[in-house]
Amino acid sequence: MVTEEKRSWGMVIDTDKCNGCSGCVTACQVENNIPLNDQNKFERGRAMSWIRIERYWEGEFPDVKARFIPVLCQHCANAPCEPVCPVYATYHNDEGLNVQVYNRCVGTRYCANGCPYTVRFFNYWEPVWPEDLRNHLNPDVTIRSRGIMEKCSFCVQRIKRGSRKAKEENRELQDGEIKTACQEACSTNAIVFGDLNNPNSEVSKLSKSESDRKYTLMPQLNTDPNVVYLATIDPLKYKDLGEKAKSNDH
Amino acid sequence: MQQRDNQNRLSQKYTNSVLLNGTLSTPRWWYPLVSVLLFFVVIGFILFGIQIKYGLGVTGLNRPVYWGLYITTFVFWVGISHAGIMISAILRITQAEWRRPVTRAAEILTIFSLATALVFPLIHAGRTWRIVYWLIPYDAARGIWPNIRSPLFMDPIAISTYLTGSTLFLFVALIPDLAVLRDRTTGFRKGFYTILALGWTGNPRQWKMQVVGGILLSALMLPIFVSVHSIVSWDFAVTTAVEGWHSTIFAPYFVIGAVHSGVSAVVTMMALMRWGWGWNDFIRPEHFDALARLLTVVATAWLGFTFLELLFAVYGLDAPEIALREMQIFQYPWNMLFLIFLLTGYILPVPMWLFKRVRTNIALMFWSSILVNIGMWLERFLIIVPGLARKSPFVFTWEAYTPSWFEWYILFWSFCWVTLLMLLFSRVFPLVPLFEQKESEVFSDSIKIGRATVPTIFREEEEEEED
Amino acid sequence: MTIKGHHKEWPPSDPKIVKDELFSSTIKGSSTLKLISKILGLLSILGLVGLIGKFLIDGGDQTQWGYVAATLAFIFSVTGGAPLVAIAPFIAKANWARPISRMAHVIGASAIVVNIIIMIPLLWVLPPLVVEGARRRSIWFEAPVYSPHFWDTLSLIMLAIAGLGLLYVSALPDFAIMRDNSQGFRKKIGNFLAGGFVGSTVQWSTLRMRVGVMSTLYFFIYIFVHVVISIDFSLSMVPGWRDAIYPMAHAMGGIQGGVALVIILAWIMRKYGKYENYLNINVFWALGRLMFATSLMWIYFFYSAFIVFWYGKSMSDNAWLDLLIRGPMVYVFILGMLFSFIFPWWWLIWNKVRNSINGPVIGAFIALTGVFFERIRVYVPAWSVDPKLIHDKWLTVIPETLYPDIWDILLILGSISFVVLTVIFISRIIPFIGVWEVQQFNLLAKPIKYIKAHGIRVAKPD
Repeated sequence: MVTEEKRSWGMVIDTDKCNGCSGCVTACQVENNIPLNDQNKFERGRAMSWIRIERYWEGEFPDVKARFIPVLCQHCANAPCEPVCPVYATYHNDEGLNVQVYNRCVGTRYCANGCPYTVRFFNYWEPVWPEDLRNHLNPDVTIRSRGIMEKCSFCVQRIKRGSRKAKEENRELQDGEIKTACQEACSTNAIVFGDLNNPNSEVSKLSKSESDRKYTLMPQLNTDPNVVYLATIDPLKYKDLGEKAKSNDH
Repeated sequence: MQQRDNQNRLSQKYTNSVLLNGTLSTPRWWYPLVSVLLFFVVIGFILFGIQIKYGLGVTGLNRPVYWGLYITTFVFWVGISHAGIMISAILRITQAEWRRPVTRAAEILTIFSLATALVFPLIHAGRTWRIVYWLIPYDAARGIWPNIRSPLFMDPIAISTYLTGSTLFLFVALIPDLAVLRDRTTGFRKGFYTILALGWTGNPRQWKMQVVGGILLSALMLPIFVSVHSIVSWDFAVTTAVEGWHSTIFAPYFVIGAVHSGVSAVVTMMALMRWGWGWNDFIRPEHFDALARLLTVVATAWLGFTFLELLFAVYGLDAPEIALREMQIFQYPWNMLFLIFLLTGYILPVPMWLFKRVRTNIALMFWSSILVNIGMWLERFLIIVPGLARKSPFVFTWEAYTPSWFEWYILFWSFCWVTLLMLLFSRVFPLVPLFEQKESEVFSDSIKIGRATVPTIFREEEEEEED
Repeated sequence: MTIKGHHKEWPPSDPKIVKDELFSSTIKGSSTLKLISKILGLLSILGLVGLIGKFLIDGGDQTQWGYVAATLAFIFSVTGGAPLVAIAPFIAKANWARPISRMAHVIGASAIVVNIIIMIPLLWVLPPLVVEGARRRSIWFEAPVYSPHFWDTLSLIMLAIAGLGLLYVSALPDFAIMRDNSQGFRKKIGNFLAGGFVGSTVQWSTLRMRVGVMSTLYFFIYIFVHVVISIDFSLSMVPGWRDAIYPMAHAMGGIQGGVALVIILAWIMRKYGKYENYLNINVFWALGRLMFATSLMWIYFFYSAFIVFWYGKSMSDNAWLDLLIRGPMVYVFILGMLFSFIFPWWWLIWNKVRNSINGPVIGAFIALTGVFFERIRVYVPAWSVDPKLIHDKWLTVIPETLYPDIWDILLILGSISFVVLTVIFISRIIPFIGVWEVQQFNLLAKPIKYIKAHGIRVAKPD
């Protein structure tokens, strides 16, 4: 390893750019072997999507606007899901990820109750893929059996692969080299992922900027999440297009 | 045989023969009832196996209502278990006479309801077969110990400590009766009782040891009594994410609810014992009277705690919390459940218990105590599920929960299981402590004060210790 | 070692002797007592000076009044908790409490004047419900803006009336004895208060019922007072502090202090009134157990709140920890923990300590100090919070440690002195060991020997 610096993986999501296309949801489902959601699952309230798009309506008719927030595991530094697992199946690793260890999980679902963002999912049944869909399963990601909790891992398999590659090539990781599936699929580049500890990374610059658009979800709970959101831009807030362009500049 | 001796006390012979009629002989109804219960229990085990094979999808649980009937019933049975210590330990330390027929039944209710409660974390977990990692505090797998910081790990520690202590307590109180049984049985049974009776001959030194042992265990069990249900309540209270859970009052609230629920269960059990085995001389209306008075005080304290919890729930005027309470109290079907909970938990039974006529009427006490337990089960349900159904301000995650028939059956199974265990116990050990009854007969007397004849009790005074 | 207890220390069986012995305490008063009374009177006046001085100097600044609020909370809760030491055994029909029940009721009625006097300026300084056009969070939601002032005062008045009423109904037969056996002003008081009590059967059963009703009423009022005053005078003044156990923890501290006060008074009566026969080892043993139990209850209620806030770690949870545990009050917290729990627990856990006369008293003094520290720990920082922050979601600016000034110290000394002075004053009129209770006890219980064991035979008429 060239340098042994501690990384801290984080994300910035620009909700102004998000158009609710749900490409991230689909990509995540494919990348991470998330069990198929059929109608029965939706009806029973057991549908699983590690990243979900929440849609809120703003304004009164006819000036109604739809606003979208992609919500995924926030990988909180002060995670409420971690201290409550009786078997240490979820813990915070030294790269800032909230890690879910599938083979340790006994499925008490206490972590899911502790998560205020409800981004944790439980396998109520044994996942089943039809014959012809089995070829697209990602070999880098474990298939979870019934009784196990799962959630967004910031595509840890891609992080591991990228880190391994950099190590083999005896170089540092470049910013943007590791992309999560949702980031790759995002049609508007609303999702930015990277190393928060690297002062040159895009995510680091965005999350440390003085922008008054920055916010985190449910700050009163003091979870200290690694995901920062940028609020939608109020077009009336900026006097001219130039200023508006500057504030959204990258 | 002679029932009462010349001082109007029940003779020892009579006491022994009546109270042992369940152990030395079998009541007519015992075999049919046990067969039926065994049938239901076995079906329950089969269903449990089915759940292990196919997964928790057989329940009605979903996201975000990850905890439902199983956890409610778990907390319910832990609550019922608090009757044992309340009655045996606290009443023993305060030397209340009316505890005598009640103590053993309360203790075994504790033990069997704790044993049942310990099963529920196994039932509710996703991978029961891996729970060996969890229940055994040893770094058996990959050098990782269980997480002591998790209330879900503190739960089995507390419950198993309580179970161990209660079993010891039960055993110490059983020894004199085991000696009686030893002297009245033959063959294999005699051998069994001889081993357990530990050579009891009833000399003063052994009695002193037994009494001192009982008192020491009572004192040791009292902190456990308080802490067990507090730890169970902290399963919920430490979570900031769920509305209605992060309340500091949960620990004493749950404990006092447990005493309410448990003592009511003891009343139910006492009535059934009196009717089932015909122990009218020993389980008398005055015992129900005393229990009902205790219950009135406890229930009123419980109501006070409920009120404080609801007051502080809305105190912060947080929008998510208000949304939760609106659903819990005003929206169908929760409003109906909330009303039933208040009616059955307090409003119907407690005003009834203010009247001595009701308190000494055993049938009324039986039915009102069952009402209380319906209400207390609903209380746990109303704490656990609505909070999860309306978790956090993300309305996209709000969901409704309907328990599946599977979960209802497991709830029913738990009652069958506890009853079955108690009936099996009754065939091996007497349900009413013989020596306590005989002691009370010996201790009681009557004197004349003025023109009234008043019953009296002899109270032994403690001697000063030598060192 | 011979068996101590009832054979040597047991009240005389002749009711006349009992009456004379117990009434003698109201009449004889040593010169030391007069001297003490004079000193206490002086301190009381200084206390009033302190309160007035405080009001004149800091009248508009809420942040300086923490110690005054703590003193009120301390006094009303520990004196209010004392009658519970008599009520609980009465309801449980326990006989050991008979000698101390009068003392418990007297303590409950002794702080009325002090409570009201301290309350008045506090009501003035109490922040209003509506601050800058918006209502702050309180339990009064949409109620009229004067609600806290009205209900908190009313609750104290109700506590006073209930305390006096309880003292009156439980001392009624003794007033009758005073009427029939005393001279002078005591005879007049007895005549006035006893009414027509002659000890008929109907009157006795009515008395039982009245004491039962007043006891239950007192208990409910005691809880009510604690709920409203503890919330209005501390919890609702800190933004983001939402703590459902707090009123009950406050009440539990009051009970702890009340038990301590009863033990101390019982010890004084035994030592200086020479009442070994009445206030025997059984009484102190039972009280010692109560003292031990209330200390355990305190740590239980404290821990219930602590674990929830410590584990939750949300912004308001952390603010609570900063404000009340590890911030300006860290040393008071340590002292409060030591004196409320650790020292009493380690002292009273030993059988020899509980089963003695002097042991429980030492535990009582320690616990009483602990309750005082606890009140300071909560009220002082709550009042010190910057009033401008009251609408915040959680507390962001932790106030500095506030130290008591001279007016606070005078007030604390003065108010405690006046309470003690009131107790001494009442002792001149009413016997502190209930005469009828002891006489009735003599009818019910007798020490006897049963086979080889020593014990007492207790009649259970109900």
